[in-house]
Amino acid sequence: MKTRTTVIITLAGLLIAGCGSSETVNIDVVNDDGKAVMGLDYRDFNQAASEMIQSMISAGALKKPGGGRYVVTTGRVTNDTMQRIDTDQLMAKIEEELMNSGQVVMTSAVGGKGAPDEMIYEMRDIRDSATGDEFQQDTLAGKKTLIAPELSFSGKILQRNVRYDRNRQQVEYYFQLRVTDLTTGLRFWQKESIIGKRGSNRSVSW
Amino acid sequence: MKAITNILFIALVFTFAACDQQPAKINIREGIRSDDLGNNIVTRPVVYAFSALIGEGIEIDEAILARNDTGYLELNINGHNRSYNTKRFRYKIEWLDKNGLMIQTKTSTWLPASATGKSSFSLKAVAPRVEAVDFRMDTKKWE
Repeated sequence: MKTRTTVIITLAGLLIAGCGSSETVNIDVVNDDGKAVMGLDYRDFNQAASEMIQSMISAGALKKPGGGRYVVTTGRVTNDTMQRIDTDQLMAKIEEELMNSGQVVMTSAVGGKGAPDEMIYEMRDIRDSATGDEFQQDTLAGKKTLIAPELSFSGKILQRNVRYDRNRQQVEYYFQLRVTDLTTGLRFWQKESIIGKRGSNRSVSW
Repeated sequence: MKAITNILFIALVFTFAACDQQPAKINIREGIRSDDLGNNIVTRPVVYAFSALIGEGIEIDEAILARNDTGYLELNINGHNRSYNTKRFRYKIEWLDKNGLMIQTKTSTWLPASATGKSSFSLKAVAPRVEAVDFRMDTKKWE
């Protein structure tokens, strides 16, 4: 009897120790078999970015007549979800892949959140200040050397929460992206990708 | 024993009778279309059960590779779902250059796909690099 009690206590102890395991593990980001979450995670951004990139390339929206590459900037991409999202999570992938595709070159001189690289203007401020005399003049950027973007990416990520039934909710995420010709204002390409999740009402999607 | 053999034989006949119908351009689903020998209110449960028992699933009919106007390789995959249930799965396409080396791209990620029971499906992918000359594709269950 005493042996049996000891065995039960030991098993219960092991079980509790196992259940309470909070060991940190690295995510296998290539083949992540982890459960889906109600919020947006990196897999959702990968999926949306992949769909956007393939659609843009397939449509030929970035093929410049006469050859060459378009100069592109990322304008305003707004986060209209209930989550704290940096929209660069989506745009960095799209920019990277489109640059690697050889169809576009991104500019860091202007952007929807300001210049992606402030050093462009800081170096010009230095050039125009007394400190500029410390530099070899031919290594400083001259005036009228920046190239203006021809196309702009803009878009929105938005969220809708719908009550599915008594215990479940449905969360819909819409990724919307546009490419606009900055000279004419014409829209060259547009796509919406939808990611929907259905789960417990107790899950929080923000 | 003989009865079981007979049931299995009948189920097999019904299944093959139903399977012969390749997905057509116009797919009229059961419940809307007229019932046939292999699929009616009496045989349906047997056929469904047998289909699940033998593990029918997705099959790929063809993979068409072609370069689009902009010089990028496009892949169109056509297949059909042999089973009676909707099959949800994920697929990942990796692009290979002329040396057979994999091209690292952000588009090579697991993407969702779904094929309704006894119907055709198509997948389309575009290589984001002009160096791509071939592809390989992997699938896994939709977790």
